[in-house]
Amino acid sequence: MSSTLLWILLPLAVGVALLAYRGKATWLPALLGGALCLFLAWVAAELPLGVVMQLGPFTTEIAPTMVLFGRSFTLDNAHTPILTLLYLLQALWLFGVHLAKPGRLFVPLSLICLALLVGALAVQPFLYAALLLAMAALLLVPLLSPPGSHPGLGVQRYLQFQVFAVPFILFTGWILSGVEANPNNLTLVLRAGLLLALGFGFLLALFPFHGWVPVLAGQSHPYVFGFLILFLPSVAMVFGLGFFDRYGWLRDGTFTGALLLAAGGLMALLGGAWAASERHMGRLFGYATMVAGGYSIQAIGLGGAAGVQAFFALLIPQGLAIWAWAAALSRLPLPEEGAADLSEVTQGAPKHPLALAVLLAALACLAGLPLLGSFSGRLAVLQGAATVAPWAAVFSLLGSLGLLVAGGRVLAAALAASLPRPPGWVEEAQPELVDKSSDLYNPYVWAFAVVSALALLGGGLFPQLFWGMVPRLAALFSQLFP
Amino acid sequence: MDAWLLNVVLALLALTGLGLLLSRDWRWRLGCLGAAYLLTFLLVSQSWPLELAAVKLVGGWMATAVLGLTRLNLPERPADPPDFPRSPFFLGLAAGLVIVIVSGSAPALAAWSRQFDAGIVWGGLFLIGMGLLQVGLSGSIFGNGLGLLTLLAGFEILYAEVETSILVAGLLALLTLGVALASAYLMQAPTLEPRE
Repeated sequence: MSSTLLWILLPLAVGVALLAYRGKATWLPALLGGALCLFLAWVAAELPLGVVMQLGPFTTEIAPTMVLFGRSFTLDNAHTPILTLLYLLQALWLFGVHLAKPGRLFVPLSLICLALLVGALAVQPFLYAALLLAMAALLLVPLLSPPGSHPGLGVQRYLQFQVFAVPFILFTGWILSGVEANPNNLTLVLRAGLLLALGFGFLLALFPFHGWVPVLAGQSHPYVFGFLILFLPSVAMVFGLGFFDRYGWLRDGTFTGALLLAAGGLMALLGGAWAASERHMGRLFGYATMVAGGYSIQAIGLGGAAGVQAFFALLIPQGLAIWAWAAALSRLPLPEEGAADLSEVTQGAPKHPLALAVLLAALACLAGLPLLGSFSGRLAVLQGAATVAPWAAVFSLLGSLGLLVAGGRVLAAALAASLPRPPGWVEEAQPELVDKSSDLYNPYVWAFAVVSALALLGGGLFPQLFWGMVPRLAALFSQLFP
Repeated sequence: MDAWLLNVVLALLALTGLGLLLSRDWRWRLGCLGAAYLLTFLLVSQSWPLELAAVKLVGGWMATAVLGLTRLNLPERPADPPDFPRSPFFLGLAAGLVIVIVSGSAPALAAWSRQFDAGIVWGGLFLIGMGLLQVGLSGSIFGNGLGLLTLLAGFEILYAEVETSILVAGLLALLTLGVALASAYLMQAPTLEPRE
């Protein structure tokens, strides 16, 4: 057995098989997919690769490498922590399907998408990952614009920019081979750097290529958008860290750190500033993910072991917060497309108090408030950035502040909707004394709220829960984290 | 390939590129895209074995067929949405600008790389430029898909000069098909029955 077979081809095959499922039990694909992801996460966490194991009368070995069409796919022991993390997160997303209801295609397509993303981490030469990332991005198009809906500008821009990224990154690889042979050629280094910056700018929706993020967030299902904006950029950033790990001139170059700190700071600032004045709940989610992405870029910009550790320290809590926000927003009533206005959504506050509370907690987590999961990671990034480029740290802080202002507005609107009506108020219909459709009577929502509370608060109160995993994740990059 | 033959191929490529941009009939535009893939195949076969270069042709024509079949099944409208701007004069001017830029940069890139043939670079950059122009100027999903496919075809001409991996050939063909399928899906999505 090979690791490629286990972590790439198996979920791919299961995803394709689930596409054909037409049964009435809509929960079954999510359960099967979730169970498979938990199993794969367990295997990645517990079983060694490249070692012959005795299983009763049988012996087996998970070979780290598989050759396909003359190129190899390698997932070795250094990859197992990231595989564990990715499949655990995927399991969480699949188990949340029951509440969020993102559509039948979500389970199979997200499984296939994850298989392609893991393929991107495994393929050698690693530059070919750009092609697999683009394919994963294309695969999500049917989820972003479900049957019967008019595709908006957001999904078109998303498609364009993900495809634009491919030529830039692949050509960078060709130029980089020249840079390796002649590292003192400044023109070559600059050209490679420029192509790389453009490629990752498109891929990660960095300023000024970020326009599709809030538009798509406003036009697509929150759960689908959340999945996309968590998995694609995260794996793309891990892919980007691979460049720093392999090329010393990039790792040691003074301009790369400053550029990333500036790009990340600008992204967080813009996300926060627009979030503060945004009334559309979907677009607000998009801006919040821009703030989170900005901090992650800044973490990479710190460089060295500190940077890679800060990146992974942020990845886990921010991933959990995005999941919680996406699921909670999916629970809230969105009246009709394009009308998910703050006041209209929060009208449902009395009926969905748990979902709204989770959404606010996730917002606070993405803003980096103390006692919540991302606080320690954010602190590490801000401390590091403040010593190198204080203005970049200020940009990020302002971004967080903008997000907090947005949180305050959501809270105010929800409280206003929950207040008792003034005397003389006439309701068109007499409200039921006990509304059975309320979140408070739904055990799944309670379970979701408890899991979210554990995920968001647990990481803040007991940071060692996340930080313990960080060095093992960072060990994937032997040069950055020796 | 002889120099005169290469020039003929490049001239035909310029004509198909202009046809893709200027034509308003979707059948002509798809015909131009199919012709562009044939010319791409001829250019790629200069650096790749014929059987590997044929992957570009097959993949490209399949993508063209996907878009064509989808468009054929959509109800005919009186006219495409008013893409801004649709004046042939403006589009011709923009295409002329692309030709000037590409003609200036192709020899420089070929000289700098010491690996590319100037004519092939011209063909690749021209298609990339025309693709970008279509993506930028088109407001429709169909035009967007055509633009992305044109851009990818141009990139494949250039990339074939530096990479001869079978896996890359396969993945690029899959990407081309993926773009066509995604565009076809988006074109059809409003007419499909909502599920669940």
